[in-house]
Amino acid sequence: MLALLRRFLISSWLVVALLLFWWKVSANSENYFWPPLGQIASQFKANWLFTNVVDDVIPSLKNLAIGYFIGAPCALVVGAHLGLSEIAQRIFSPLVNFFRSIPGVALVPIFIMLFGIGDESRRVSIAVAVFFPTLIATIEAVRTSDAVLLDVSRSFKFSSFQSLWRVRVPSGAPMISSGLQVSLQVGFIVMIVSEMLGAFRGLGAFTVEAQQSFMIIDMWTGIIMLGILGYIFNVIFELIEKRALRWYRGQKGLTT
Amino acid sequence: MTHPKRTGARLELKDVTKTYTGHGEDKHVLDHINCIVEPGEFLSIVGPSGVGKTTLLRLLTGLTPVTSGEILLDGKRVTSPPEDLAIVLQEYTRSLMPWLTVEKNIELPLKLKKIAKEERRERVQSAILEVGLEGNDSRYPWQLSGGMQQRVAIARALASRPRILVMDEPFASVDAQTRLDLEDLVLKVRDDFGITTLLVTHDMDEAVYLADRVLVLTGKPAHVAAEIAVPLGYPRDQVDTRAHPDFGRLRGEIYQLIRGKR
Repeated sequence: MLALLRRFLISSWLVVALLLFWWKVSANSENYFWPPLGQIASQFKANWLFTNVVDDVIPSLKNLAIGYFIGAPCALVVGAHLGLSEIAQRIFSPLVNFFRSIPGVALVPIFIMLFGIGDESRRVSIAVAVFFPTLIATIEAVRTSDAVLLDVSRSFKFSSFQSLWRVRVPSGAPMISSGLQVSLQVGFIVMIVSEMLGAFRGLGAFTVEAQQSFMIIDMWTGIIMLGILGYIFNVIFELIEKRALRWYRGQKGLTT
Repeated sequence: MTHPKRTGARLELKDVTKTYTGHGEDKHVLDHINCIVEPGEFLSIVGPSGVGKTTLLRLLTGLTPVTSGEILLDGKRVTSPPEDLAIVLQEYTRSLMPWLTVEKNIELPLKLKKIAKEERRERVQSAILEVGLEGNDSRYPWQLSGGMQQRVAIARALASRPRILVMDEPFASVDAQTRLDLEDLVLKVRDDFGITTLLVTHDMDEAVYLADRVLVLTGKPAHVAAEIAVPLGYPRDQVDTRAHPDFGRLRGEIYQLIRGKR
């Protein structure tokens, strides 16, 4: 219990100190663009606890969830199979490398042209952006499976499908998981940017609209909300990962 | 615990030759290896390091194709890993699945063969008992000592009910005491199941202690320098067998063969 408290204190004191610093420095601010943190906080409470959550936050998160859970599993399946075949890798690697170099947010306008400014274009943008980090991590994970483990699989006469999903993918799970995490972060960014470009609701739309209407305090609350959400997502992801990859941490002798 | 007695498989090597091609010049590793292993026999394969013992093992487990000659298991030509064969490798840390518990590691090959759940559980439990891993079912391989991990690998091999067990330097990475225990475990397994057993090792003492017969490989490319029968009888004992005059004589003979032709 004491150790838990200690850990909490170690990881939170800096945040608290910075918030206090911001509070203090901005307290008597007259600058229109840097309002006092106290004002932002009370506006935050009015905006987000919990009035606009249903209108602006839930739709955003729904788009992210749909895009992510389409893009990432597709990347896993495609990546796993590409990782198996050297020829397929050679054929597809120029394409993959071309598309992965394009920032996901740059694709948003194209999908808006194709699918209109509705949620579909945002979900597709997120799915496409999410696809590449997981794809690349999965290809690499499957490609670099341990030769001894594969010999064992062959000696037990596993089919190639079985050895892919029962041996290669699980043994590459730590690497795949890093890809999934990057995908989540990229998906989050595309979620926001896609809403900044011509959406009527959603967190990104709210923030950019506030900015364009010079409602600077509202803008700040949107930015803070985005930060908090992104942070929560990462924490949730790492909790799940920590559980799912307990074997990996144990094997490596990691304690945290 | 009753073990269904099985008959071991008969293995025959006919003029087995292996040449690795590509990567510059061809590498002729094995030259016309001939050998017959009778059902239930324990054969050790020894030779200096780098002679091609592991290559031979890969050929007769069907993991690597022969260049010429043939390998017959019960008269059937080996072209891919045969159904009745199980292997135990030296690198236990790499040959077990670190994301599965001991029980699930042993169970996985059975599960993928679509063996019914009831039977799977029975086979896994009897394999765990056979190798002395009771109480470790739900631990992970990396939570166990090297010797224990190698027991898991042996149990996994046994659970698939092989008729021939092939081991590549299985005890090379464990401490001396554990090594002796595992040697005796392997003898017990052979005795309980009557399976044909092949052991690749660079340790001459171990080769003699365990086997009915020792195959000595030497030279580049490697050929059979001698096949030495071990008339020591069973059961063997770590103290008495090793103190037997024949043990020392055979060991010396093998040593001469390996040293002389190096």
